[in-house]
Amino acid sequence: MSEPRIDLEGVSLCYRLAKQRLPSIKEYMIHFMKGALSYEKLWALRDITFKVEPGEVLGIVGRNGAGKSTLLKVISRVLKPTGKVVVRGTVSPILELGTGFDHELTGFENIYLNALLLGRSRKEIDVKLEEIIQFSGLGDFIRAPIRNYSSGMMARLGFSIATAWVPDILILDEVLAVGDAAFTEKCEHRMQQFHDAGTTVLMVSHSAESVRKNCTRCIWLDAGNLRADGPAKEVLEMYSHAGTDPDQRAIGQLHLG
Amino acid sequence: MKEILSYRDLILTLVARDLKVRYRRSALGFLWTMLQPLLMMLVFYAVFSALFRFSIPNYEVYALAGVLFWNFFSQSIVSSMNSLRGNAQLLKKLPVPKIVFPLATVLSGVVNLLLALVPLLLIMLITGGLASLKPALLFLPVSILLAALFTLGAGLLLAPLAVFFSDVLELIGVLLSVVMYLTPIFYPKEILPESLRWVVRFNPVRSILEVFRDPIYQGEVPPLTHLSVCIVIAILALVIGAVAFRRSSDRIPFYV
Repeated sequence: MSEPRIDLEGVSLCYRLAKQRLPSIKEYMIHFMKGALSYEKLWALRDITFKVEPGEVLGIVGRNGAGKSTLLKVISRVLKPTGKVVVRGTVSPILELGTGFDHELTGFENIYLNALLLGRSRKEIDVKLEEIIQFSGLGDFIRAPIRNYSSGMMARLGFSIATAWVPDILILDEVLAVGDAAFTEKCEHRMQQFHDAGTTVLMVSHSAESVRKNCTRCIWLDAGNLRADGPAKEVLEMYSHAGTDPDQRAIGQLHLG
Repeated sequence: MKEILSYRDLILTLVARDLKVRYRRSALGFLWTMLQPLLMMLVFYAVFSALFRFSIPNYEVYALAGVLFWNFFSQSIVSSMNSLRGNAQLLKKLPVPKIVFPLATVLSGVVNLLLALVPLLLIMLITGGLASLKPALLFLPVSILLAALFTLGAGLLLAPLAVFFSDVLELIGVLLSVVMYLTPIFYPKEILPESLRWVVRFNPVRSILEVFRDPIYQGEVPPLTHLSVCIVIAILALVIGAVAFRRSSDRIPFYV
């Protein structure tokens, strides 16, 4: 058995929300002297522990504000939490629509900008350029400024860039939802190829259908806690019941599988 | 360090984008950006020669070299501080090493400084003829490197502060203008009263400025003792800045 790609142990992350707006030095000094620096603590993740093996496709479900995106940011090394985080291999995150795009530049120029931001070199991009344009299916739109793109087109381009290279870990945050059916199918096909190549995929989705179809395993986050972890079908079952049955929400952590 | 190298293409692209914005209308854009230092020089010239009846030889070159250096230093610092805030969306979502943004800012400042040397050389030719172009000018790349390292250090130290506190930028604006008057940019340091000289003497910006201006204005390579002091200052500034930036780097995405 190879080492797990992602190994989280007791990971917690707390946003310190200043009760006042972003303090100025002056305010900071005044409050500091009074000893009244107060923050509201918002635990986005509490004591999360799980491992993901190579080749797993892991779905992450939960309500808005449950900590899904924060978890993805921790794994893609954007946010540093407390606890142990081990991530082995290259990570390709497609986080939010239009992140890393300059809306004044054309699609073509944005391919370079975006891929450079993902840590690629100019040479690597030159090689893959044709393929990226091809896969995005944007045709002549590639020469138009991004600001004229629809959200679907932007998602296509983002997905095409981030998946041009086979990463060890692919992170998708609500990306597949905006493309049209044909493109979604294309994406799912590519994810299947990645899966076969041993890439670990993490995907956040509000569509149970999409998770059921693509994921082998699923975790359910609830207010920063790991509520369930197990085969996609069973976790989705629990999750969908919890939404309608308030009593179910009272149960503690469950580990399946 | 290795991380920075692997992102060098990104840094170059950011520099190119910055320059493109600045010189959008090609030659005319360049003229506009040069107009400000030239006007400053003319104002200083008028003030010093007419009002104070004080003249130093070749004052135009002295003042312009000073203004160009100061613009590089102050603009790089202010832009470094803005660079993290300006790229907040990226910093919150992509695992880009945060240092690339202030680094690219200072690099594009260096390119601007290099471009601004062209009109400076023209002024030198006009006022002093061919004789004013001394071989010491070949030392300028070393001076600019030292200025860049020093400025990068200051920028790295201050950039995270601008993320954590909303009013640091204003504070630094005020501080910069104080430092400007304590640096002999447009006045010769000899005109300072005895009681103020020590301030200028221990002002590191003054030391770095002289290494830049000596080859241009005096036509001399800076003396070795002064040069070694400046090397120490520049490296010290860079190390302090880099350490401070590294230490606060993990907290930046939470605050931008």
